[in-house]
Amino acid sequence: MATIKIKATDGSEVEFEDIIIGQGGMKDVYFSPDKSYVVAFFRDKQDFNAKDRLQNITGIYRERIFNQIGGDYWKELYCWPTKTIEHNGKLGLVCPTYQKYFFFAVGSINNDMLGIKGKEKEGKWYASAKNQNKFLAPQERGNWFNYFQVCINISRAVRRLHAAGLAHSDLSYKNVLIDPTTGRAAIIDIDGLVVPGKFPPDVLGTPDFIASEVIKTKHLAKNDTARCLPNIATDRHALAVLIYMYLLYRHPLRGGKVWDTDPAKDEDLSMGEKALFVEHPTDTTNRVKVSDLQPSQLPQGDPAKIPYAVCGPYLKKLFDRAFIDGLHNPCNRPSAQEWEDALLKTVDLMQPCQNPNCWHKWFVFDNTSKPKCPFCGTEYKGQLPVLNLYSSRKVGSFTPEDYRVMVYHNQYLYAWHVNRNLSPNEKLTAGQKKPVGYFVFHNNKWLFVNQTLTDLEDKTENRKIPIGQAVELTDGKQILLSKEEGGRLIVVQLANG
Amino acid sequence: MRGEPIEAIRVGLETLVASLRQDPFALENAWLSVITFNRTPQPILPLTELETLQIPAIPQPEAAGTHLGEALEFVCKKVDAEVTLSSPERKGDWMPLLFVMCNGKVSDTQLFSQTVPLLKRKHFGKIVACLVGHHPVTENVRQFTDNILSMDTADSSTIKTFFEWVSTSVSVGNRSIGATDELVLPPPPAEMNAII
Repeated sequence: MATIKIKATDGSEVEFEDIIIGQGGMKDVYFSPDKSYVVAFFRDKQDFNAKDRLQNITGIYRERIFNQIGGDYWKELYCWPTKTIEHNGKLGLVCPTYQKYFFFAVGSINNDMLGIKGKEKEGKWYASAKNQNKFLAPQERGNWFNYFQVCINISRAVRRLHAAGLAHSDLSYKNVLIDPTTGRAAIIDIDGLVVPGKFPPDVLGTPDFIASEVIKTKHLAKNDTARCLPNIATDRHALAVLIYMYLLYRHPLRGGKVWDTDPAKDEDLSMGEKALFVEHPTDTTNRVKVSDLQPSQLPQGDPAKIPYAVCGPYLKKLFDRAFIDGLHNPCNRPSAQEWEDALLKTVDLMQPCQNPNCWHKWFVFDNTSKPKCPFCGTEYKGQLPVLNLYSSRKVGSFTPEDYRVMVYHNQYLYAWHVNRNLSPNEKLTAGQKKPVGYFVFHNNKWLFVNQTLTDLEDKTENRKIPIGQAVELTDGKQILLSKEEGGRLIVVQLANG
Repeated sequence: MRGEPIEAIRVGLETLVASLRQDPFALENAWLSVITFNRTPQPILPLTELETLQIPAIPQPEAAGTHLGEALEFVCKKVDAEVTLSSPERKGDWMPLLFVMCNGKVSDTQLFSQTVPLLKRKHFGKIVACLVGHHPVTENVRQFTDNILSMDTADSSTIKTFFEWVSTSVSVGNRSIGATDELVLPPPPAEMNAII
């Protein structure tokens, strides 16, 4: 196998081995000899505009995201092309190799019967109930909490792109690698970035993720003003579909309704003009027909068994906006930032299921006095402390925030719980990422142990809680976390008591 | 075809199944059926879900003759019997893809001419003809498809490359789609010559 040495457009040296390791829709991919990066050449000749776009992506757009304070944070969330190259008249890109955890360590069941060990963890493996139930090895599957982490990472990465004025244009489970064993995710295939008014898209997207307005107008000429092409609003649709699929293992628009007996027309109608949420609260036209499903798609494939409300109140609201109000009305779709915030708030509502054999392992608290896991039906046994968070906008008065934290044994509390001006994202300092305290169930009592909070105070008993000491969580107890601007007060509620 | 190319096709089919099984989209959706033909068509693998299927031995042809017409007629019947069409109440199967491997010759000309219009009405997602042999005939297969590939030398590695390409063609359903409406197949492998 020959190694080819060439110079990149920026003058640096690039090497690759002359054997195709993969083919995408538009590119052929080769490994560098040390496998630290890959080289991808476009099969078709690229015009001036495409070249200009790629130079911007590897240059100024990349620098704007990565060469700032905290820029390193994004290296894990994107596989961003670093250089452009030209060889034998073909234009190409240099990209970092995917991180090791994005390749299957075990693969499929029965000693990897499918032979996927070492292959990329393409999102489709996880977004499908059948693949999850029948093929993936249990060690690869992760638990439901991990899928929330995956979705948070994807939302965050999309949010950063959009904040820079860039649209991915082809978000799908093929272009997002995920690792549910650790909750990590990375966006790949960034070379198709769309800049409104500057670089138009060259793909429509991937089936399952294309927004209805794009499908509806695809018969029109590209320069027709009525034609809708991928942009930030269509990215938002794709993001909502990704989140729905990773959390619920089915597609939000693929129900039982047949709009046309010609399958090609039916596909266009059901994803385009007639697109309808399978769980629409009042319009039942497109409900999933359980008789259409294979046994391996159950129970996840049946929304009647596992409705989207299991994702909790914050996400339900956003799914409603994405698949009801915003499905045919792009400006109503939730932004990536809203998804990130709602997912983060939902994580604080999660509880580990007490049934060790539960498939999901975690569930979102349903705000009832008798909580139970909606997946396996196991009822929560014992007292469940719920923390209602209040924050102060002026000294001495605290207002409710529609923000709750469920407590479980050995759970940590963090700086972003203590102060409403902080969010768990790339802006946190190393110090702010460390826990400030933790919850334990000890001698039949729920305790909060203070690790770093200097202002911690039991307001009910007017007693300071020094670092290293604990405060018991009792019904109605008020605990002040911080006296600083934006500092929060906790009001404890004991559910299931 | 006799001898090595037949064995190579079997190995190629195994490669095809193995690589399709590694594609989560194909694994969830694709079914495969294999029909051989000489004077008579013979289904050697009924339409089977990917996860369970095993490629059987392909019998060496005993009779001479290339009854492509009869083979295509058989394919039409199989499509009628096995592909579930959409009804107003129930979604049907996706349009099938048909890959025809032959030397392009037709011994049953009359039946072939009658069958081609039938075949074209069957709503295949795509029909691809792959011509094998040193002097393949293109004008017959051109009557039912414009996607004609010619393999210069039908040795086992070429055939393996072909089936790897078939596998990417099957998984093309979940690839990014361009601004055109047609199902776009990936470019054929280097050893093949697409005849335009």
